[in-house]
Amino acid sequence: MADKTMPIFVPSEKPVKVVKWKIKQGSFVSQGQILFLYNDSSGNINEVKKFKALRAGTISSIKVKEGDIAEPGLPVAELEECRHPTVMKEMCAECGADLRTDVGSKREVAIVPMVHSVPELKVSEELAQKLGREDAERLLKDRKLVLLVDLDQTLVHTTNDNIPPNLKGVLHFFLRCPGGPGRWCHTRFRPRTKEFLESASKNYELHVCTFGARQYAHAIADLLDPEKKYFSHRILSRDECFDPRTKSANLKALFPCGDNMVCIIDDREDVWRHATNLIHVRPYSFFQSTGDINAPPPLVDEKSKLISGKNGAQVPVIHQMPTLDPEPEQKDSVVDIKEQKETNENAIDGGNGKILSKDKNKPSEEKSEGADEEGERLADGAEPRWVETSDGQIEVEDPDDYLIYLEDILKRIHKHFYDLYDKTENKQIPDLKMVIPEVKSKVLSGVSLVFSGLVPTHQRLETSRAYLVARSLGAEVTQDYTEHTTHLVAVRAGTAKVNASRRLGEGKASKLHVVTPEWLWTCAERWERVDERLYPLQRGGQSSSRRPPAHCSSPPPAPAAPAPAAALRKRTPSGRFMDTLNPLLSFSSDDIADMDREVEDIFNESDESSSDESKPIGDDLDDEENPPEDRLISVETEDSSQDRLQDLQDAGSSDSDTDEPRSRKRPRRSSPPSDDEPPDETDDDSSWNLMGAALEREFLAQD
Amino acid sequence: MFYHISLEHEILLHPRYFGPQLLDTVKQKLYTEVEGTCTGKYGFVIAVTTIDSIGAGLIQPGQGFVVYPVKYKAIVFRPFKGEVLDAIVTQVNKVGMFAQIGPLSCFISHHSIPADMEFCPNVNPPCYKSKQEDNVIQEEDVIRLKIVGTRVDATGIFAIGTLMDDYLGLVTQ
Repeated sequence: MADKTMPIFVPSEKPVKVVKWKIKQGSFVSQGQILFLYNDSSGNINEVKKFKALRAGTISSIKVKEGDIAEPGLPVAELEECRHPTVMKEMCAECGADLRTDVGSKREVAIVPMVHSVPELKVSEELAQKLGREDAERLLKDRKLVLLVDLDQTLVHTTNDNIPPNLKGVLHFFLRCPGGPGRWCHTRFRPRTKEFLESASKNYELHVCTFGARQYAHAIADLLDPEKKYFSHRILSRDECFDPRTKSANLKALFPCGDNMVCIIDDREDVWRHATNLIHVRPYSFFQSTGDINAPPPLVDEKSKLISGKNGAQVPVIHQMPTLDPEPEQKDSVVDIKEQKETNENAIDGGNGKILSKDKNKPSEEKSEGADEEGERLADGAEPRWVETSDGQIEVEDPDDYLIYLEDILKRIHKHFYDLYDKTENKQIPDLKMVIPEVKSKVLSGVSLVFSGLVPTHQRLETSRAYLVARSLGAEVTQDYTEHTTHLVAVRAGTAKVNASRRLGEGKASKLHVVTPEWLWTCAERWERVDERLYPLQRGGQSSSRRPPAHCSSPPPAPAAPAPAAALRKRTPSGRFMDTLNPLLSFSSDDIADMDREVEDIFNESDESSSDESKPIGDDLDDEENPPEDRLISVETEDSSQDRLQDLQDAGSSDSDTDEPRSRKRPRRSSPPSDDEPPDETDDDSSWNLMGAALEREFLAQD
Repeated sequence: MFYHISLEHEILLHPRYFGPQLLDTVKQKLYTEVEGTCTGKYGFVIAVTTIDSIGAGLIQPGQGFVVYPVKYKAIVFRPFKGEVLDAIVTQVNKVGMFAQIGPLSCFISHHSIPADMEFCPNVNPPCYKSKQEDNVIQEEDVIRLKIVGTRVDATGIFAIGTLMDDYLGLVTQ
């Protein structure tokens, strides 16, 4: 740097003789170091003076040889000033200069914090580039990639709640916080975590990237990797994050040469701004009542997602349904928590009653009365079972096997990346942001899907999440049957398309698979074509979810990304919020024709299928609309003649809008609230009164 | 550098300690309050050696607390620029390495590590290795370094070190 080079002049008015150089050209000198010995030609020949450096820097050239006379006004040597490329705590790590006192002399060069756990240590852009390049070269030489690993709900699940101390496979540790009492953390590793890390570290350089506090992150990393062979010091925690909501901001600093070789696994997509090099993993939930204890504050539009994360259930994200009121979800989550409490209670005596079969279509018969259908479905499959063993330890059967699939996904990505790298002539580094979607799109390539009952009729196929998920897996999706159609994904039996599939199936040589949406979601989760036989569509089974679980919402392929918003807007020309609420207004004529056709088909059907049709809908509505009070009533009346009372109570609850206030007030008016009468009883009375009134009406009507 | 110097400290005592053990409590409190602390002027207080005098306590009006001025001698550790010290390596990364000199943390940038030593991230633990592989610096190793700069904060001191001088580097036992 020419502008930073400064000459060193002779220190006196007269010519001096340089007796001895104490330094070599190119060597680094610090401030006050002796550069050379000289004597004034004026004075005593034997008197030797020392010349010390005024500034720190590198001696770039020496102009005067030993024994020569240096004239005043001419440079003796040139010193290249230290540019402070590495700065630690505002001190240059090379020359030791204090940069805090050097006010305004130069703008700070070192701005990139390159070391995960030490944010104070910063290096210059230039040096960062150099180090980044070295890293990339080394990775390529070792045929490795970078993998950023999230901790919470990806590899581990941690809770601060009180839990039984004798749980097997749960590690306990205490975190001290400065100025606070500290807290106990209980951590459970996802099954096969050790094996996963072992296998992943062969192909990847592992980095921890978590929103947990530094202490927590290091504690977990110590537990996961006591020998420090997987993560070493590459641990990025909340304390080092630039932005409290996203982790993507740190990528640039950690990988100054670009994130071409970076692959990410995380259970939250939003913290990475939906990067395409992210593998969205199924959240791991072990302690049912705890979510991600280190979850970042949610982005504004994802309120409901956080709510869903809180109880580990997979309530769909509502990216593309901006009109959806988050209220129902909230209600759901309340119910979920209630259910979880129940399961926790059950867990103590080991009689959870959950069926852990692979067959997800089979509803579990032994489910507790309070558990609603939805919570049951969501919890199914991933729910650990707690069993107490003879030695007092609670053995937990954890059916989570996701890491097996994740391991395989990572292997495939690695292979694909290096296949591409080997193929390219000029050794250009492929970009994982392109490679990963490519690998994903091979999963269902050659498959052509038709959806039935999966996409709401008023929504265009192209804008539905199911469509986007299927497309990101490389499947083709058509509105109706074509000759290439290989799969029908149906929510329930008895729709027109399901019936048509039977006719089609007979004529064709290749089999048309009729599967539930779970098949698609499982494919998206595991990145493999799952055997269709595991997900047959069963008659009358309303087991399937229309919406993909949150972790399947992989980013759509690039061109499709802006489509949903645009399409939605197009369909509501007035742009008013009200219009988006009323589905009838947004139906196209085609949609309505389609609906008509479907209704006709249903009427043509036999009786039993129509009853199949109506029942699930009823079930769906039941949980969301009936207030919990009704459920209480139904429990109380169970012992009496059930069918009859059921009807009565239904009538009562439908009329309750008018009756309820009156019957509530009645006992209060007659007897003002006294101390000895607990308020519960009045409530109880009112509900009995309510039922009594309903009974009375029913009898009168029959007479 | 270590010094044995006289220092002063004020001990604030709660009235509940007023009793026969009063002076013991004052001494105990002095140890816990000053040992291990760091001031910019004197550096780290390593250990209190003698307590020379405990002055007359002054009761604080309005609250009943008593303040004792205490004079004591202590061994302090104050790092200086240009000082050569032995340190234990705590972390090695691509930008440099961190070392610990007792209570003092120190960073040595890659630039200040002899140029023939290269960073090897692949071995566990990561290390700096010379080309002939005869000189390896990794975590837990003892190195001799020279301090080129210190940052003195209210709560601590941080140092920048270098290995670029004669007789610096790995200390072989």
